[in-house]
Amino acid sequence: MARLLAAFAVALACVAGMGVAFAAPTEAFALSTNKATARPNEDGGDGVIGGIETRLTWEGTVGGDEEVSSVTLELADGGNFDGSTTRVTVLDGLTRIDIDSEVSTDGNLLKVKFADPIPANSLLRIVVEGMTFPAAGGEQVVSGSYETSGGESHALDDSNAIDTISNTPLQQAVAWLDANPAVQAWNSNRFLGMFLKPQLILTSLSSLFPGWVLCLGIVCAAYPFAILLGLAFSLMKLSRHKIVRAIAITYINLLRGTPLFLQIYIAFFGLPMVGINISNNLLGICVMAINSSAYLAEIFRAGIQSIPQGQYEAAASIGMSRMQTMFSIILPQTVRRVIPTVTSDFITSYKDTSLLSSVGVMELMMFAKNATSVSGNITPYVTAAIFYLIITLPLIKVVGIIERRIERSERGAGPRPVAGQDAGSATDELEAAGASHAEAIERTGLGAGTLEPAFAEEGGVADVR
Amino acid sequence: MCARKASANVVAKAVEPALPAEEAAARAYAHDRDLTSHHFSLDEHPIVRIEHLNKTFDGHTQVLRDVNLDVWPGEVVVVLGPSGSGKSTMLRCINLLETPTAGHILLKDKELTGLSASELSKLRQDIGMVFQGFNLFPHLTAKENVMIGQTKVLKKSKEEAEAEAIKQLTDVGLADRADFKPAQLSGGQQQRVAIARAVAMHPDVMLFDEPTSALDPELVRGVLDVMRDLAENSGMTMIVVTHEMGFAREVADRVVFMEGGVVVEQGKPDDVFDHPQNERTAAFLGNIE
Ligand SMILES: Nc1ncnc2c1ncn2[C@@H]1O[C@H](COP(=O)(O)OP(=O)(O)O)[C@@H](O)[C@H]1O
Ligand SMILES: [Mg+2]
Repeated sequence: MARLLAAFAVALACVAGMGVAFAAPTEAFALSTNKATARPNEDGGDGVIGGIETRLTWEGTVGGDEEVSSVTLELADGGNFDGSTTRVTVLDGLTRIDIDSEVSTDGNLLKVKFADPIPANSLLRIVVEGMTFPAAGGEQVVSGSYETSGGESHALDDSNAIDTISNTPLQQAVAWLDANPAVQAWNSNRFLGMFLKPQLILTSLSSLFPGWVLCLGIVCAAYPFAILLGLAFSLMKLSRHKIVRAIAITYINLLRGTPLFLQIYIAFFGLPMVGINISNNLLGICVMAINSSAYLAEIFRAGIQSIPQGQYEAAASIGMSRMQTMFSIILPQTVRRVIPTVTSDFITSYKDTSLLSSVGVMELMMFAKNATSVSGNITPYVTAAIFYLIITLPLIKVVGIIERRIERSERGAGPRPVAGQDAGSATDELEAAGASHAEAIERTGLGAGTLEPAFAEEGGVADVR
Repeated sequence: MCARKASANVVAKAVEPALPAEEAAARAYAHDRDLTSHHFSLDEHPIVRIEHLNKTFDGHTQVLRDVNLDVWPGEVVVVLGPSGSGKSTMLRCINLLETPTAGHILLKDKELTGLSASELSKLRQDIGMVFQGFNLFPHLTAKENVMIGQTKVLKKSKEEAEAEAIKQLTDVGLADRADFKPAQLSGGQQQRVAIARAVAMHPDVMLFDEPTSALDPELVRGVLDVMRDLAENSGMTMIVVTHEMGFAREVADRVVFMEGGVVVEQGKPDDVFDHPQNERTAAFLGNIE
C-alpha cells in the first residue's frame, strides 16, 4: 500500500515537472520517498530486531524542478544512527553521479549534506550500516526533512513501515553470544557450528516451543481416547461372540498392519475429498488416537490374559458376576501390569506426532524444518531432539522404575503359590506385545511393514493349568 | 466379556432326570446311614447332591464316571485318592467351575446344572471354595479380599463389610495382618485369608481343594487348625480334598476314596483306614502311611 502511494507520488511529481510552465512549484514533491528497507538481523530467522545493529536502506527521488542540498532521516525515539557508517549513492538515470557528502548523526537523526546540490530527477540512495531501530520493536517508518538548493526546508513523506521485532532478553543473549570470542571459536569448527551453534540452540528453543506444546497437546488429547478405545477393542477381542471378535480383530490388524504415515495421508487427504473438513490439529488428534488404540487394545488384551485363571475362579466362587470380576478383579490387576508397556507406547505416540508435519500440522518437526531452511544450519533439528528427549528420557526412566517395582512385588515376598506360575509366561507375552509395537512404529516412517501378531491364540493363557 | 471356560450355561445331557427331593433324601438316608459318623435324621435332606456326574474333557478323556455322592448339613467329607483320579474335577463340578458333561448337581434340592451364567453366579455365593493356590486378589489387602464379596455380591455397606472382614480375620488369627497385601503374607497366612474370604459369605457348604499342598510343612498346621475349628465349632458342611491323613482321620465324618474317576469306597474314617474293603484303597493307604 505504502509502496503504491509512493509510486503514485513519483508519477505525480513527473506530471508536475512536465507541467512546470503552468503550475506553481509544488515543493511537496521535490524529494519523495520511494522505500525504506532493513536487513534481517535475526539469527535463524528473517526478522528485523530492534536494539540490534542492522542496515537501513532508504531511497528517494528528487523532483523535476528542484535540487536538493541536504537530507535528514529521522527514526522514532529510541532508534539510533550514532556509530553507523553511511554510503550515499546518487543516480541520474543509470549513471552514477559523484557528489561529495558529509554525514552527521545525532541519536535518531542522520543528516546528509551534499557538497553540491543533487540534480533534479536523480535517484538518491542512503545505506546506513550499523544503525539500530528502537528496542521496543513494532512498525517503523523513516521520516525526516530535506533542504532545497533554494534554502527551503520541507518535510519528507513517511516511508513504508518496516516490521521490527522487539529486542527480548533472548535477542540480547544472542547478540552477546555473537560477540563472544569463545562462541566464535566454537562456531568456526565445522561440525560444532553446523550441529550445535549456541545462538541457534537459544533461538530455536524459543521458536520451536509452540511446536513442542502442540506435540504434547496432540498426544495428551489423543491418549485418553486411545486408552478408552483400546480397552473397548481389547474386551471385544476377548468376547464370546464371534462377530464382535471379528470386528475387533479386523480393526486391530488393519491399523497395526499399515504404517501410521499412510493412515495420516488417508485421513488428511481423503476426508476433505468427501467434503469432511476438520481442523488439522483435531484431525491429528483423531488419527493418533485411533492408531494408538489398536496397539493399546493388544497390550490390554495380553494384560488381561496374563491374569491367572485362578483369579476368575476365585471371583466366581464368591458369587461375582462376569462384569464384576472384570472391573473389580481383572482390570485393576491388568492396569498395574500394563503401565510400563503403555508408557512405552505413549513415548512412541509422542514421537510419532512428528509424522504429522508431513501434512502441515504445525508441530515440532515443522518448526524445526522451517528454522533449518531459513538458517541453513542443522542446529534447529538438534534442538528439536532436545525437546523430544525432555519428555521421553524421564518417561523411559519411569518405565524402568515401575518394571523393577512390579518385578519385586510379584516375585519378591513370600513363597510363590503354584497358580502364580501362570503369570510368568503371560508376562513374557505382554512384553512381546510391547516389543512388536515398537517394531511396528519404527517401520511406519519407511513404508508398510507386514506384522504378524506375536500372540498366542486366545485361551492360550487360560488353558495353562 | 471373556472367552474363558467358566461358561456354565451349557445344559448337561441328563442321563436320567434328577430324583424328586423326597425320594432322593430317603435313598440317601438309607445309603449313607452306616457310611458316616455324622448324625442326621430322616426328615433332613442332603445339602449337596451329586447324581450320575460324568465329565469328559476334549470329547474323549473321561475323568469322572457316574459319581454319586450326597453330603448332609454339617457333615465333613474328606475325599482321598491318587493324583489324577478326578478329585479336583469333581469339586469344581460342584460349583460349576467345570461344566458336567452329564449328570446333576443340586444344592438344597435346587438343580445347578443347566442354569444361566447370571443365575449361577448368584448361587455360587452359597458354595465357598478354597483353592490349592490360594487365589487371593493380589491388588487388595487381606481385609479387602474378605470385603469385596460382601460389598459387590451381598451389597453390604462398607462399614458392615469391614466389620465382617475383621471378625473373620480374627477367627483365622490374622486380625493384625488385615492391611497386608497377599505378597506380604506367608503361604499359610494367605490360605487362612482365603478361608476367611469364603466363610465371610456364609456359604451352605465349603469346598477345599488340597488347601495345604502348596504350603511349606511348618505352615500346614495353622491352616488345618482353622479348618478343624470351622468343622467342629461352626458346624460348617465341608468337602475336603486332601492328603493329610491325620486330618481325615480326626476331623472327617466320612472318607471317600476315588480312583480313575469313580468312587471306589466310602465310609467312616476308622472303617476305611483300618479295614479298607477295596484292595486299591488298601494299596493307596499303604503307600501313604
Ligand atoms: N481342563 C482340563 N482339560 C483336560 N484334561 C483335564 C483338565 N482338567 C483335568 N484334566 C484331567 O483330568 C484328570 C483328573 O484331574 P484332576 O481332577 O485334577 O485330578 P486330581 O485332582 O484327583 O489330581 C487328569 O488326568 C487331568 O489331566
Ligand atoms: Mg487336584
